[in-house]
Amino acid sequence: MIEKFQEWYQNRHDFARRWKEENPDGKVVGYFCTYVPEEILYAANILPVRILGGHEPPALATPHVFDMWCPFCRDCLSQGLAGKYDYLDGVMIAQSCLHVRQAFGAWQVHVPTPWSYYLCMPNAVRSPRSRPFFAGELADFKKAVEDWAGKPITDEDLDRGIDILNTNRRLMKQVYELRKEENPPITGTEAMTMVWASQLVDKREHSLLVEELLRDLPNRKLDRDPGVRLMIVGSENDDRPFMEMVESIGGTFVIDDHCTGSRYFWDEVVPNENRIQAIADRYCDRVPCPTKDFGQEDWERKRFPHILNLARDYRVQGAVLIQQKFCDPHECDIPSLRRYLEGNGIPCYFLEFEVTVPVGQFRIRVEAFIEQITAEELFE
Amino acid sequence: MIVGGIDVGGKNVHVVIMKDGEMLAKGDSPTGIQKAEAAERLYDEVLEQASLKRADVERVVATGSASKRAAFAQGMIPDAAADARGVIRLISSARTIIDVGAEEGRAIKASPEGKVLDFAINEKCAAGTGTFVEAMARALEISVEDMARISLESTRSIPMNAQCAVFGESEVVSLIHAKTEKRDIARAVHDAIAGRIASVARIVGLEKDVVVIGGMARNVGFVESLRKEIGMDVVVPDDPDFVGALGAAAAATAGVLEEEVEAKVVEKEKYEEGKA
Amino acid sequence: MAKYKTKGLDCWERAKELRIRYYEDYAEAHDRAALRWEGGAWSFDAIPQALEGKVHVLTEEPYGASVGADPRLQVKYQEAAEGKWGCARDLCAYMRNYWGGIVLDEYAFGGKWPRADFIFQNQICCSHSKWLQVADEIYGGTIPYFCFDVGAGPYDRIGERQINYVVEQLYDGIEFLEKVTGRKVVDEKLIQNVQNTYRSACYWAKTCELNQAVPAPLDEKTMFSLYVLGTLEKSNKEIADFYEKELYPEVKDRVANNIAAVAGEQCRMLGDSQPPWGFLRIFRYLETYGVVSIASLYTFSLIGWFELDENGNVVPYPTLEEQGITIKDRDHALRLLAEGELKGKLMWAPFYGAKYKNELVTKIAKQWKCDAAILHLNRGCEGTAQHQMEMKIALQEIGLPVMTFEGNMADEREFDEARAKRLMDLFLTETLGLKKIAD
Repeated sequence: MIEKFQEWYQNRHDFARRWKEENPDGKVVGYFCTYVPEEILYAANILPVRILGGHEPPALATPHVFDMWCPFCRDCLSQGLAGKYDYLDGVMIAQSCLHVRQAFGAWQVHVPTPWSYYLCMPNAVRSPRSRPFFAGELADFKKAVEDWAGKPITDEDLDRGIDILNTNRRLMKQVYELRKEENPPITGTEAMTMVWASQLVDKREHSLLVEELLRDLPNRKLDRDPGVRLMIVGSENDDRPFMEMVESIGGTFVIDDHCTGSRYFWDEVVPNENRIQAIADRYCDRVPCPTKDFGQEDWERKRFPHILNLARDYRVQGAVLIQQKFCDPHECDIPSLRRYLEGNGIPCYFLEFEVTVPVGQFRIRVEAFIEQITAEELFE
Repeated sequence: MIVGGIDVGGKNVHVVIMKDGEMLAKGDSPTGIQKAEAAERLYDEVLEQASLKRADVERVVATGSASKRAAFAQGMIPDAAADARGVIRLISSARTIIDVGAEEGRAIKASPEGKVLDFAINEKCAAGTGTFVEAMARALEISVEDMARISLESTRSIPMNAQCAVFGESEVVSLIHAKTEKRDIARAVHDAIAGRIASVARIVGLEKDVVVIGGMARNVGFVESLRKEIGMDVVVPDDPDFVGALGAAAAATAGVLEEEVEAKVVEKEKYEEGKA
Repeated sequence: MAKYKTKGLDCWERAKELRIRYYEDYAEAHDRAALRWEGGAWSFDAIPQALEGKVHVLTEEPYGASVGADPRLQVKYQEAAEGKWGCARDLCAYMRNYWGGIVLDEYAFGGKWPRADFIFQNQICCSHSKWLQVADEIYGGTIPYFCFDVGAGPYDRIGERQINYVVEQLYDGIEFLEKVTGRKVVDEKLIQNVQNTYRSACYWAKTCELNQAVPAPLDEKTMFSLYVLGTLEKSNKEIADFYEKELYPEVKDRVANNIAAVAGEQCRMLGDSQPPWGFLRIFRYLETYGVVSIASLYTFSLIGWFELDENGNVVPYPTLEEQGITIKDRDHALRLLAEGELKGKLMWAPFYGAKYKNELVTKIAKQWKCDAAILHLNRGCEGTAQHQMEMKIALQEIGLPVMTFEGNMADEREFDEARAKRLMDLFLTETLGLKKIAD
């Protein structure tokens, strides 16, 4: 059944098209960043699907976004320009990095999509002032969705939306919990594919499959030596060939910090009578993207101790730090994160991703990293 | 009227000698390090071919990234302008010109008169150029010609990133390690460059007829990949690498005519001044 | 013979003097018991500058640009940031110039790096906050750091909620400042500073508006050196006086007397983004064709405040006097400051979408009578390079010929001058059909 996640991931457009046929009253909205509050979309019977790249050279993007911008964002735009998302009823973004805003901006002008929305997600999420502000923005957003969908979103609808999201988050976290085992019953590639799929299909269907998986996993024995326990950290990452490669040469990714991984689902909405405020708080409080991880007292990041805790909880022996080329927010954090993790005894290795990565060359580099970790542990 | 056009590129020099719009002689040679000498030598060789002396030529115009090295030229014209004039002379229906040479790939939107309306170049990266193909052919241990040929036999498309030559090369190495067939790698390389250069062409807009010139236009594998990438037919003129020199010669003709007109105006003004 | 008469600006020396003194004051601040702080050119300097006693600020962008204008310094500091700190070389070039100075403990204007007493920054692009976060980390994490968010929405969506969001953070900022410095924010100073900020921002905008005249009284290369004061300390009385009482009247006078920035003006160019600072001579090169860069969203609204009038035209944002406003108290001052920045700084609009940038630049191109555009695709600054390719398409759609060239505002390793000139020759002679008027 684990293959089903992969199938969903691969045939994402088929799923969305089928969903539309089965839900004639429903709409499909493509979204650009995980700060988009999917709760409100589910409440309105809208299927949110994350716009991801196609791992193809972004040939159509150049006239709109020149080469110094993040390849993932250019790939997303290129997919849209190529008509791969022609089934979308709407497209939206929650304010985040400039790179993805470029892709969204060009999409608004050049990819015909009936409805589009720029949600002004605040940057200062660690300031208490962001919460009422964002709740206001969310109220406007809810109103815009109501106007568009032609019917009001009730508290019950919001409760349903919150529940759909929270259930899915809780279940995926339970799967992640099993990765703490000595020999995890699920590889990092499989676990992350599960998360990618959850961004692409109806979460209710996805949750059913995750529940089934949870019943199955305790009895699943993988016929492989887990080898070195690794974590993978950084910007957007849905590079399956890379992850498979690492897990074929003596390593297992036991945990991650990616917006296509744990950062996406780690935090739940804490229920509150004021549903909109509860949702706003969840997005302000979640593990932040580096672009929003700054304070109003000192320079410390909120995300770093969280990553270290994950590394400890999952008994990580080494961390692979990756970023999409040109990703400024991560580029600003990675040298610091590296010092921080290495200072806490976790060796790190850095790699820069493109829409396709040179797997052969990366293999040699990661092999050397794994050897280094094994050798160090021999002498301890 | 006898005129000359010389295109001094990063890798090769091309010379054409024209008489009243007809080609008298042409030649090419590697630019090498001594660019000025190479230009002089080739120019004299081509003149000799046509049994002419320098004094027989009314005007020579130079173009290309090292056009300044052709000290004997009386005028210079930007390379994209030479491309546009050269192409329009050969194919008057050309609207989009794609020129891929050793060092640079560029796209030009041309008016029916051969004026450059818009242009874009492959910035700061060798990945979309002939040099990149040569490097990849070396990695594959075959000639560029063989690489072009075998790529046509491939039936498999492998996405490869040619945003950066370094990344591109390591991808080729990865594919070799993965025992991918050479013809598929060859196609992947051509597809990647075609994708890259098509991106540049999309900046100016792809409008029929699309004409491909420059050294890479001789590479059948690349041209086929480009056709597929843009989903349009492309026209490759004979001697696609001589088009720049041809355009320069066209500019030389126009320059001579313009000078004649200017001289007449000056004469007329002088006459009128005298009259006053 | 030259087409128009021209002359240098009388207030030029004064602008130079103000700039040099600013950097010296910062370096010497501690000798005079003054406080020192670092922040961005878009930070609200009116607030920290209202602390009791003397206070001096170092804004990162103009500092990074100053380093960028000198290729030797640039390479040295960037290599320090890249090599010693380990940052990526495609990050904002100003950032790397700045970090390199801290890493090497060297101030580009002489002496050791003048350590700040606190950091007061804001976030609009996706890494403004990170810039000083990392700076502080290089310092050893010893400098109190405050960063507020102004990403509250585009100018046409600014209402109470957006203003409140920023103002509440500014109150938090005041609390932070008083706590870390042990000094009070003085209301009279704050009110004065906000008035000065309005004067700087509105009079710069009025000055830019004068450039609609043919011939243009100012060229962009000169404007770079003039707007810079507003990026240093727009709340400073002397700087506001400079804009209101020296520069604006002088430029007005130039227009009245038909004095051109460039005598041979025959083609008016629209620009975008910062130029490659070490290569401003490319503007002189353009002048050999009679081409004058006279307008850009960047140069106008980096510090200038504008709005759209009832006809949809880009016009200067009204001054406090024009609005008939007298600032009453702290709250009023903070609200007016937030409102002016959020509604008036049109340069922030492109952060919210390509359509904003397209709308503004096409309006500017028309109102300022531009004949063509040359866009510097700036690899050094994602913020100003937002939607540049979309902008190209939008300008071409209104019939303006557009040329682009890639470069970097402050990293010469990414700018190929010879190639850029080749492209300019092509564009000017072929596409625009211009001829050289001088060598």
